[in-house]
Amino acid sequence: MSEHRIATSKVAGTWAWFFQRLSAVLLVILLAAHIIAAHYWHVGEEISVDTVNERLKNVAFIAIDYSMLAMVLLHGLNGTRTVLFDFDMFIKRRKAVDKGLWILGIATMIWGIVILWPFISG
Amino acid sequence: MKIGNDDLRARTFKWLFGRNSEFWPTNMKTGMWAWVGHRLTGIILVVYVFMHLSFLTQASLSHEKFNSLMQVTAQPAFVFMDFMLVCAVIYHAMNGFRVVLFDMGVGIRKQKLVFWIMMAIAAVLVAVGFWLLFDAGLFNGEWF
Repeated sequence: MSEHRIATSKVAGTWAWFFQRLSAVLLVILLAAHIIAAHYWHVGEEISVDTVNERLKNVAFIAIDYSMLAMVLLHGLNGTRTVLFDFDMFIKRRKAVDKGLWILGIATMIWGIVILWPFISG
Repeated sequence: MKIGNDDLRARTFKWLFGRNSEFWPTNMKTGMWAWVGHRLTGIILVVYVFMHLSFLTQASLSHEKFNSLMQVTAQPAFVFMDFMLVCAVIYHAMNGFRVVLFDMGVGIRKQKLVFWIMMAIAAVLVAVGFWLLFDAGLFNGEWF
């Protein structure tokens, strides 16, 4: 870091700022639905393959889980980008950071889709 | 006089985290604590997402593996860590809401008051989350 650093908002870009806010609002709704459905709906009951299969028979929950993963990755990795851009060494390698985070995000999304599939297909 | 790289690094570190810096705990004001908390909870939550996916990967290998893993995570120590996670999510969401309000030009001049209002709402949500887990007996009397 140096004393002459540029404001992070100027480095990160307006679209990044906009999607960070949009995903934040969507995440509050989706996360509340996910946490209530997965953990609080039948609080105290044992979680097993059967209960997860039962929940994921409902298309709405599949949509919630997958769209939430997409929003979490967008918000989390974009947030990570903002944190990284507080450091000069990453601002200097901005394109590489962007590329790396995109690859990580897409790979993780595919990973998430694949691991939930056995539960969906029952 | 030319300043060496190491010297510059030491000076920068002192400027950032030294006794006179804005990050020194006694120099930090409400807004800075809120910012630091937002960053820390954000990083914790990103790490958690990857841990969550790793756990699910282990679990998706076989039904037996999933069920035995779920029994491990039902132990009070894991439930307590889940509760800490809920606290981090609620803090991050409430402070994030405060940031969105500022983006819309609402409450910037009363940022400290807005912070404490958000924290009061967060405290209520945390208490509700704790009560639901406690009431269901998930802490097993071992922790609470």
